[in-house]
Formats: sequence, C-alpha cells, structure tokens
Amino acid sequence: MAVSLHADVFIPGQSIIHRWAARPKLLSLLALMFAIAMVRQLILLPWVFVVVGGLYLWSQLPLSYLARRLPYPGLFIVAMVGLLPWVSGETVLWQWSFLALRLEGVQVASLIAGRFLAILTTGFILLGTTPFLTLLEVMRSLGIPPLLTDMTLLTYRYLFDIANQLATMRQAMQLRGYGQSRQTVSRQWGWLAALMGSLLLRSYEQSQRVYQAMRLRGYGQNSSAPRRMTSRSGNQRFALPTSLTLLAAASVVIGEILLPPL
Amino acid sequence: MHIPDGILPAPVCVAGYAIAGGVTWVALKQIHKTSDPQAELPKAALLAAAFFVGSSLSVPIPPVSVHLVLNGVLGAVLGWYAWPAILIGLLLQAILLGHGGLTTLGVDAVMMGLPALLAGQFFRQRHRFAKALAPKPLLGIFSFLAGAIGVGLSALIFFTLIVFTIPSTLNQGAEQSFLTALMIAHVPLILLEGVFTVLLCFFLMRVKPELLEQ
Repeated sequence: MAVSLHADVFIPGQSIIHRWAARPKLLSLLALMFAIAMVRQLILLPWVFVVVGGLYLWSQLPLSYLARRLPYPGLFIVAMVGLLPWVSGETVLWQWSFLALRLEGVQVASLIAGRFLAILTTGFILLGTTPFLTLLEVMRSLGIPPLLTDMTLLTYRYLFDIANQLATMRQAMQLRGYGQSRQTVSRQWGWLAALMGSLLLRSYEQSQRVYQAMRLRGYGQNSSAPRRMTSRSGNQRFALPTSLTLLAAASVVIGEILLPPL
Repeated sequence: MHIPDGILPAPVCVAGYAIAGGVTWVALKQIHKTSDPQAELPKAALLAAAFFVGSSLSVPIPPVSVHLVLNGVLGAVLGWYAWPAILIGLLLQAILLGHGGLTTLGVDAVMMGLPALLAGQFFRQRHRFAKALAPKPLLGIFSFLAGAIGVGLSALIFFTLIVFTIPSTLNQGAEQSFLTALMIAHVPLILLEGVFTVLLCFFLMRVKPELLEQ
C-alpha cells in the first residue's frame, strides 16, 4: 500500500541543511512555508522558486527524491485547479468551440500551483534532511504535550506493522473469494466491514500487550522533563541557514506587502 | 477531503492552527479527566494507526470505488482521543504521502476532527434511549447517524472553506453549478459512510462490545 512506498522519507547526508540544528531548521522552514502561503502576487513566484530551489540544492537531496514524492499530491492539485483556466475570468486568451482559456483563470491556477509546489518542496527539504524521531523530539522541546508526542511515536511505530497485517488479511480474503464477479455489492461491503473490524480488534489486542510491555519498562513511573535540545558544535551549525532562510521569508512577506495588488 | 498546501491564504491557515490549538487543549483536558490516560494511550495510538491504514480500503459503489473517511466511527470508538488521533493521522499523511499539507494541517484537523468529536458525543447519547429501543436497532440508528454526521459535517466545512476562498474572478453561475455538483456527489458518500459504520459497529458488538463503550 501507499504507506510503505514512502517509508524512506529521510535521506541521510552531510549537507549543511542536514547538519542544521533541528529546532531552528523546523521553525525557519515553517516560517518560510507560511510566508509562501501569503503570496498573492504572481510576480513573486520566480523569487520564491529561486529561494526554494536554492535550499533544495543546498540540501543535496537527489532530484529523484522530489520526482518520486511529487506525483501523488500533484494529482490532487491538478484536479483542484485544472478547471480554473476554463471557467474563471473574463479575458479570453484562446477559444475553440465552447472551450475558452481565460487569462485570470490561468493566473489564479498558476499562483495556487506555484505556492503548492514551493511549500511542498520546502516540506520535503525539512523531512528529507531530518529524521522523524528528531522532529518529534523538537516538537516536545517546543512545548507540544507529551501525550501527543508519545501517541505520535506509537502510531508511527505500529503503522507499518498494521499495514502489513491488513495486506495479509486482504490477501487471505481474496483467496477466500472476495471480489469475484457473482458477489453482490452488499456482500462485499459486509466483507470489508468485517476486515476493518478484525483490523481494529487485532490492533486493540496488540495495544494491551504493548501497554503491559511499556509498564514493565517503567513507562509512567516518573515524569521526565523534556530533553533540552543542544547544539554540539555551537552557533555556526545553524546561524547561516537560519538567518538566510528567515531573510528569504521576510523578503517574500515584504514583497507581498509592497507590491500593488494584481 | 484534505486541503493541500497552497490552496488557502495564509490567514486561513493560521486561523486553522489557532482553532486546532484550542480544540487540542479542550480534548487533552477531557482526556486527563479519565482515570488513567496513560493506559488508554497505546490503545488510542494503535487504533489510530488502524484507522489510518483502514482508510486505504476501497469500497465498491459500482461503477466506481471510493475510500472512506471514517472520522465518524473514529469518534464513536475513541471518544476524545479521536482528536489527537486525527491530528496525528493527518500529520503522518502529510509526511509519508504528501497528502494534505503542513501549512493546512490545522484547517484539515478542524475539518475532520471537530465532526469526529461531535459524532462521538452523539453516538454516546444512545444510552439515553436504551429503554425505548432494542439494543441492535438502537446501535444501528446511532452508528448510521454518527458515520453520516462525521463525513457530512466535514463536507460542509470543506464547502464553506471553498466558498470563502474561491477566486473572485470565478463566474457566479459556474461557481454555483460547481458547488451544487460537488454537494450532490457527496450525498452517496455520506450514506455509504453511515451504512459502513453500521456494519462495522454490528461486527464489533458481536466480537468485542467493549470497543464501543468508550
């Protein structure tokens, strides 16, 4: 299933972005993402792409990483904005029969698709250069409640186990005749409900065993304070990328404020 | 029914995070009122993973097949834990699949999570009618409505967001017919979600009724 196809989100490396301390990296890249979300001027998009493209090159992530991860979310954005150039706006650029390509629609669709591409690539830079567990640690150090981080960790830990269980159960169901042409739709729904119910049941029973194991290992015995995130090699580990990224985010926001509306 | 990055303006994304932060505070407060929240944590986490994985199942509605949202049944089974479960599920979907987005995480959480909480609270009200109806029809009615409320309210929030953020250059007539078509397309999904929730709850009632007693 799709979950297992993209399990390798983190790509180990030695680039400056990889070595950038996780906390300022998370905060700076999130600031950049929100700055990009603010863009309403089409003219700012080339600058946004220069910034994001520069960061991507700096991170030394392979282009194949982007190519592998973009198509799935890309389909959604095409489905959402694909109609806009044909139905939105007054200025007709090109017409054939009842089909008319409109300037305003093209502009809005390009703006949305551009923002989407830039934010998504920034997200991939963050996730591709930072292990998920480090991100969780950072979130905890930023004050996210331990219940949320512990639950995220456990969900992530067992997600792939449960996905494998579901794959096995589906295969067994198909071997027992699910999906054969003579079955009615209501019967197929019944099978699927039983499959989902069995999955919940197995997960529930597994959770009881997990809880017992966690208790035996001391979970909940002492409330440990969140570990302070420290940088081993001093400020140079994050000063340059942090200041450049925040500067780029600020430039996008200032450009958005100063440029006249479209 | 996820809104990807880049669609919504930044103020809407920030408002989404603010509302999601408030709901998280309320949900965690309610969770901490339970006798032993730590004991419930693995159960909530693993069931959240199961729902996350289970939403990849495609249910046939000839001539097509659809993926279920399952937020109503999530609320019914997990109660207040449904909120963190959805928040985490959306975060993992954004990270692992690129589905949804990091800037729209708050908005998506509100869109999916609030209806789940409401569906869960509604599902719990069935005990009030325990004397008036036999257990099976009672469970059937409330589970159908919980499933339908979950996805129905999510669709309503989704349409509201589209209406308020749709480009101003869009032709009025085109906008109305587009939204009407989208709403009509969601009616069978709402009914399917309700029916699937009934089937799932009947299954759980037969094999593990305690899962429905959150």
